[in-house]
Amino acid sequence: MRQKRRYRNFSNLLFIAIVTLPVASGLVYALLYSLGFIGLLNKGFTTDAWETILLGKPFWSSLGFSFYIAMVTIIISLTVSLSIAISWRKNLNKGALSSLIYLPLCFPGTVMAFFSYQTLSKSGLLSRIGFQLGWIDDLRMFPSWINDAYGIGIIITSVLLITPFFIILFSNLYTSEKVEEYVQLAKTFGASKRQVLLKVTLPILLKKASVTIYLFIIFVMGSYEVPLLLGRQDPQMISVAILQKIQKYNLYDIPKGYAMSVLYVVLVIGVLFILYRKNKTFFKTEMKHS
Amino acid sequence: MKPILNIQDVSKSFGKEQILSHIDLTLEQNTVLSLVGSSGSGKTTLLKIIAGLETQDSGTIYLHGEEVSNMKPQHRNSIYLYQEALLFPHLNVFENIAFGLRLRKTPEALLKQKVTEMVSFLGMETHATKMSHQLSGGQRQRVSFGRAMIIEPSLLLLDEPFGALDSVTREKMQVLFKDLAKQMQISAVFVTHDLKEAIVMGDSIGKITKGELTQFSDLKSFYNDKDSGIKKEVEFWKQFN
Repeated sequence: MRQKRRYRNFSNLLFIAIVTLPVASGLVYALLYSLGFIGLLNKGFTTDAWETILLGKPFWSSLGFSFYIAMVTIIISLTVSLSIAISWRKNLNKGALSSLIYLPLCFPGTVMAFFSYQTLSKSGLLSRIGFQLGWIDDLRMFPSWINDAYGIGIIITSVLLITPFFIILFSNLYTSEKVEEYVQLAKTFGASKRQVLLKVTLPILLKKASVTIYLFIIFVMGSYEVPLLLGRQDPQMISVAILQKIQKYNLYDIPKGYAMSVLYVVLVIGVLFILYRKNKTFFKTEMKHS
Repeated sequence: MKPILNIQDVSKSFGKEQILSHIDLTLEQNTVLSLVGSSGSGKTTLLKIIAGLETQDSGTIYLHGEEVSNMKPQHRNSIYLYQEALLFPHLNVFENIAFGLRLRKTPEALLKQKVTEMVSFLGMETHATKMSHQLSGGQRQRVSFGRAMIIEPSLLLLDEPFGALDSVTREKMQVLFKDLAKQMQISAVFVTHDLKEAIVMGDSIGKITKGELTQFSDLKSFYNDKDSGIKKEVEFWKQFN
């Protein structure tokens, strides 16, 4: 019993040392830098950086743009992955497809972004194929999907990156949550195919995957390489905007970059806290049966 | 009386393995047939064929005198209940019981009245807003029955519904099911491993051995059958007398 407690204390300490401490230190450093306590050109306490960020447009437009990209990406990705996981269920469990589905997971974000650039840009593969087939008279007529205002290139690349994760997730959940048995039960209750999908399959899978979905929204919102390569200067996604402020030659912009990063983290933690307050089991992966 | 269920010459194989062989079975209206047999004898397959969840290789099935051999499960009005309660994890107790009524687009006021009555009958008033994981095994099974009974199915197909329950809860559930079946005039096929449960629950008994069904006209003839295993069980308990 004592040994068990000692082991639990050690695990807690290890978690704090490896996970909590570095993140908390980074946040404290960023907060102190943004308030002028530390930094190359600090002149003591000032709220200038925070006032500029909170009252200016760039932070909020970057946040809004990041949220828009994340939501569109997740909605498309969920639609595609659920369709594939449900309709190709048997093929995903055996044969070549069960191995091939893991292949896109080997591509780093940067590689996938370059691949998208080569395929979707005005001088890219699709544009050239369209030109050769006579669908467009000039390569410049090809629609702007790279470095465009709507982030189409970023969305397509993010969808390509995260959809395999969701396919594997939903495919595994379908089996572990015994969805097939619920489906059969619902059928004997008289549920049509549409009713089975809308009232049984989708709610069970989406509810079970809800935490992962929320985390992926945050993951896409905070992605860096893909929007850096495929996005444009305005609007920028939040990570790109923060990094540009921190790494630019203008040293007076660094506190603003840190203020943006602290504010972004606070907002994300705030949203997670609200979700947790609404549902106390939000972060629990297992439910205890009474 | 016209039988509610009539199965004629049904056979089923999976690959080279014959699961059911020339099954004939009849079930009278408002009666319960207990179906016993060892694991892998074909009980579950037979139930799934009746429900329309599996397709027989040959033979015909009549429900209320109408042939349903190739009818989709959605249209058979026969509910198949698993050993597990399988309450929908995204719905609370009230909504689980209301599930079948909502599929049938029952008017909201009538739905509320019927579900409230059922919740009360099941003794689950204080649990109506709870989710499945907040209930005990017996409570989940009660809700599962209520969910099935409320849509007044023609036939209830129960696949070892009390198999996962402790003996006390199991007995309570047997009483509850008998009450519900009597009150709602339910016809059912009840699969069980437990000979005592088969006798308690069934008005008649069928036994599947290696895919072949023997249907006993009454409980007495099942008791007298030398292969039923009942006499062995009675002898076992007698030694403690």
